[in-house]
Amino acid sequence: MENVVLELGLAVSLITLAGLLGARLRLSIVPFAILAGLAVGPHAPRFGVFDFRFIQSGSIIEVMGRLGVLFLLLFLGLEFSMVRLLRARRSILASGLVYTLINLPLGLLVPWWMRWPLRETLTAAGVTIVSSSAIVTKMVVDLRRTANPETEIILGLMLFQDLFIVLYLALVSGLIGAGQASPLKTLSHVGVALAFVLGFLTLGRRLAFRLNHGLAVLSEELLLVGLFAGLTLVAGLAERVHVSSAVGALLVGLVLAETEHARRIAQMVVPFRDFFGALFFFSFGLGIDPLALGGATGPALAAVVLTVIGNLAAGMLAGRMARLSPRASANIGLTILSRGEFSIIVAGLAKTGGLLPVLQPFAAVYVLVLAVLGPVLTKGSTQIYAFLSRVTGRLAGTGARGRAAARFAFRRRG
Amino acid sequence: MASICECDLPGIGRKFQIQTRTGDKLVVVIHDDGRREMYHFSSGDPEQAVSVVTLDDEEARAVAGILGGLTYRPRALEDVEITFDQMVVEWYRVGPGAAAVGKTIGELDVRQSTGATVIAIIEPDRTKKLNPGPEQVVREGSTLLVMGDRKQVEAVKKLVLAGR
Repeated sequence: MENVVLELGLAVSLITLAGLLGARLRLSIVPFAILAGLAVGPHAPRFGVFDFRFIQSGSIIEVMGRLGVLFLLLFLGLEFSMVRLLRARRSILASGLVYTLINLPLGLLVPWWMRWPLRETLTAAGVTIVSSSAIVTKMVVDLRRTANPETEIILGLMLFQDLFIVLYLALVSGLIGAGQASPLKTLSHVGVALAFVLGFLTLGRRLAFRLNHGLAVLSEELLLVGLFAGLTLVAGLAERVHVSSAVGALLVGLVLAETEHARRIAQMVVPFRDFFGALFFFSFGLGIDPLALGGATGPALAAVVLTVIGNLAAGMLAGRMARLSPRASANIGLTILSRGEFSIIVAGLAKTGGLLPVLQPFAAVYVLVLAVLGPVLTKGSTQIYAFLSRVTGRLAGTGARGRAAARFAFRRRG
Repeated sequence: MASICECDLPGIGRKFQIQTRTGDKLVVVIHDDGRREMYHFSSGDPEQAVSVVTLDDEEARAVAGILGGLTYRPRALEDVEITFDQMVVEWYRVGPGAAAVGKTIGELDVRQSTGATVIAIIEPDRTKKLNPGPEQVVREGSTLLVMGDRKQVEAVKKLVLAGR
């Protein structure tokens, strides 16, 4: 254990370099941290004191990575506001349902084709269905599209997906925790998981007043330590009842979001989320043998194609339902393509649940492609729309009659 | 009054959309981190912003003051008002093409026809004439200090502009 600190320093240096590269290309750190993790590991060389195999520190990096998942989900819970959701429920529900109805079947297609078992299939679908709200929101702001009419729908979809992830994680982690059990036992597992979630939330609501009081008197330092304590305890307990620590962390966030200190705590959590989160993506890459990527590349790329098709179709439909122009509707699909942290979290869940090892390289390739391709397509959405409308115009027939027909088809749908 | 609607942008902030009478659309986005963005959409294309301005908190407050007419620095002698109950003193700059250019205050018959008083004139070359007589000629670019109640001062402006 004498080299642990040095190895840790080496790991964080690699992540920093990866992050610098990402910042230079104006992309998220997620794919680059995964790549950095992929590049090193048991197969890597060692140079004198610098051991790129991370043998001694591997387990510590993994623990820190798991903390990263906890902080990512704690933050998601803190930011998640029921009030906001209910205020925008009408627009969110319609577009969210359209999105799910189109993309869930498409997400199940590849695993079904690969003949993966049920739990692996559901996990893979989860990997492909959730956008990276962090990347999407950042893209909208960076490209100065916050005032565009389609942005409301895009952000509404992100809210919907947050809700989806909450329920989905609870359900699937129950399934994964059940292992290869009989259907009845699996059902009871899922039931326990959902009961844990609902019970915790009602308890949290009941105690919100007390929490408010208790948190108010704590100093910054004690609040932080207490937060760590509550987070790890609840996450650990959640794991005991097979709900996965991620869901536990999410619940802590949801309960704290109802208190008056949500903002203060969220600001406190951000640096931990960023640091440990980056370590999580690195350790995710570290746990994958680059040689295993080959077998997962085919299905991952097929999933990428299906995601692009499904997201574009869902965006088009949701936009037309909200009376937006075809151009704005196309922007929706092209903006929500980016994948990142949540897909990796779902795949990490599969790892702790002992599912087929092919899921991790599958998720890695899938996210690596879409974390880079997504922002590129978002930036070029105007040109892509012009190109697509030319193609669809040509498909519908040539000349004015075809264009009129295409327009008519749009209007019918709108 | 123009129609203003506001809505939430979860994860970003709040959006205010103002449809102006001229047909333009102004969208103000207040980010959670305190930045403000102002987007201008022309009436031709309500989906593609013509221009964007990003302001930080301090700048936004200054702009808000200017738009609301709260800030005035008496360096540029533009239209300014000092209100004592009902009495108003206003600096009024005679623009190019105003009907009163070249006429005297007596010819315009300011006091009789409007009820307000021209208490001083500042010439374009910055010379000040306090309490100008009826023989005083109004020149282009001069600034008139007009005193009266609000209606009377408005009448003077009309008189200078249109000659009636």
